[in-house]
Amino acid sequence: MRYLYYILWKDHSRAHLLWAFLGSLAGFVLLLAGIQFYMDIKSVLADNQDLLDPEYIVINKKVNIGQTLGLIGAGFSTEEIEEIANQPFADQVAPFISNEFPVSGYTENERFPDFYTELFFEAIPDEYIDVKTDDWKWDPNEGTIPIIIPQDYLNLYNFGFAQSQGLPQIPTGVISAINFRIRLRGQDRGDYEDHAGRIVGFSNRIHSILVPHDFLVWANAKYGYFKMNEPSRIILVSKDPTNPAIIKFIEDRGYDTIREKLKSSRLNIILKFIISFLVVIASIIIALAFLVFLLSLQLMISRSSEKIKRLNKLGYHYREISRPYIALLLILMTGVTGLSLLITGILTRQFSGMAGVWNLDISNSLHGIIYGTAFGLITLIFIANLAAILISTNKLCK
Amino acid sequence: MTIRLEKLIPLPLLEQDTTGSGIWEAESVVFEQGERYSIEAPSGRGKTSLLAVVYGIRKDYKGEVFLNNSNIAGFTGKQWSAIRKETLSFIFQGLELFDSLTALENIQLKNSITRHKTLRGIEEMAERLGIGDFLQKKAGILSFGQQQRVAILRALCQPFDYLLADECFSHIDRDNSQNAFRLIREECENQGAGLILTSLHKTDQMDVHVRMKI
Repeated sequence: MRYLYYILWKDHSRAHLLWAFLGSLAGFVLLLAGIQFYMDIKSVLADNQDLLDPEYIVINKKVNIGQTLGLIGAGFSTEEIEEIANQPFADQVAPFISNEFPVSGYTENERFPDFYTELFFEAIPDEYIDVKTDDWKWDPNEGTIPIIIPQDYLNLYNFGFAQSQGLPQIPTGVISAINFRIRLRGQDRGDYEDHAGRIVGFSNRIHSILVPHDFLVWANAKYGYFKMNEPSRIILVSKDPTNPAIIKFIEDRGYDTIREKLKSSRLNIILKFIISFLVVIASIIIALAFLVFLLSLQLMISRSSEKIKRLNKLGYHYREISRPYIALLLILMTGVTGLSLLITGILTRQFSGMAGVWNLDISNSLHGIIYGTAFGLITLIFIANLAAILISTNKLCK
Repeated sequence: MTIRLEKLIPLPLLEQDTTGSGIWEAESVVFEQGERYSIEAPSGRGKTSLLAVVYGIRKDYKGEVFLNNSNIAGFTGKQWSAIRKETLSFIFQGLELFDSLTALENIQLKNSITRHKTLRGIEEMAERLGIGDFLQKKAGILSFGQQQRVAILRALCQPFDYLLADECFSHIDRDNSQNAFRLIREECENQGAGLILTSLHKTDQMDVHVRMKI
């Protein structure tokens, strides 16, 4: 058999195979590194606020002098909510509900200074809230009210108020352990009840003091006497937060929102675009390299066509004749896979080291999907080339 | 194995006068296993075509060819490969050697898929053919006569029921031709195989059973 390899391998073009090899290698490294990078960035961004998920946008009306004087309603009418819900960029819309009775909170703990404040509550359905915890439920029998406050409030306290007043800073874990009392008051004097209150989470998404929706519905029914028919804020979920129509709509209607969020979404889209571009380029390079591979092997076969016919006359079956080509293909494909994984691995390690300096948590090993992609792709290329080799040697042996 | 031709004629010979041919004009021709046939004729009478059709490397013919009553028209590539390894051996007029391989490597190229002869056996046969000293030389630098003997040796490195020898002594001197023929005859007799020998000239000195006109 070794004579067969010797005869048929003689007709290869070193330059063609080398370029095909280098081309495939470059394409593979680009593609694998692109995917690896994307996975890393995605996980980094996911840690920072779920930027790749649909955006939750809280919309309110701009405060103007008319509202201050009580001439214009500050809330959204049913028609206005309907209009927002019907916008193409709006996937889901929910109004905030507020407390329609006075609420206050106070501490009863000796280790903390006495504290009393008037409060407000707002609520939205659970699926819009970014804090996921088992404590987030209202049970009238148990009576503890879970509360979510904005992360910013805690930051304001810890880094502003507490330091300037000589008060202790409070980590998030400790704050959840603080029990305080919440008093709900009805219209009549003496008509009140006290509940335990507990902060169960901190939201980056919603700047409000949130309580469970079913609690507020229950409490409003029991104690509510202000007329707050129109919600003052609504939450909008958009799968396409970069759509410029959102900002235009909000401005045209004289509404207001926190623009920072839309900005970070734009960053995300740019990142996605760059990586898609990288993947497209890598795919083109791989496709071209694959073509060169295919053509080099076919050229090799056609250069050897006389030899192949001769071998067939001597009794060699076309499958036996195609073995040296398949072996060559296997060697090259294994080389491309191995080397591209090695190079991507080295790049990842380097990048991870660099990212560590910026305090980004990027893995220094390859994601499973990288191996999957490499082997899947190489198998595909191998099968296509294998088929081409078998077809053309068979044709010569007819 | 018997080779049977039914009204066989290669297409290029259709426009040619084949009067008097014992093969192209015959209704049916049968080659029996174990017999030695000699077909002598000037060039252009279709000797090579006949052997090539029987060996399955020419498909442009009218009529039918049967190997042991199987029509060769229905054979697959796989079947032909098996036939060429085990049943039919061919000494090509064009030799079909690989110039870049040595004489021995050319022979081993065949022997490695049939595993018919030992290296010792090959060397002995090479001695008898007078090419013992050339086995390690590249086939491309040997004389045509030497190459012909390499091709003969290669064809003997397989089991066969029939040896098809196409003008295989054309460039070999009289004594060496006699030696080569004796070797071929021995191999055929050992295997109980038949021989179809074509040549341009009279082969009176060769011991065959049937002489045919083509």
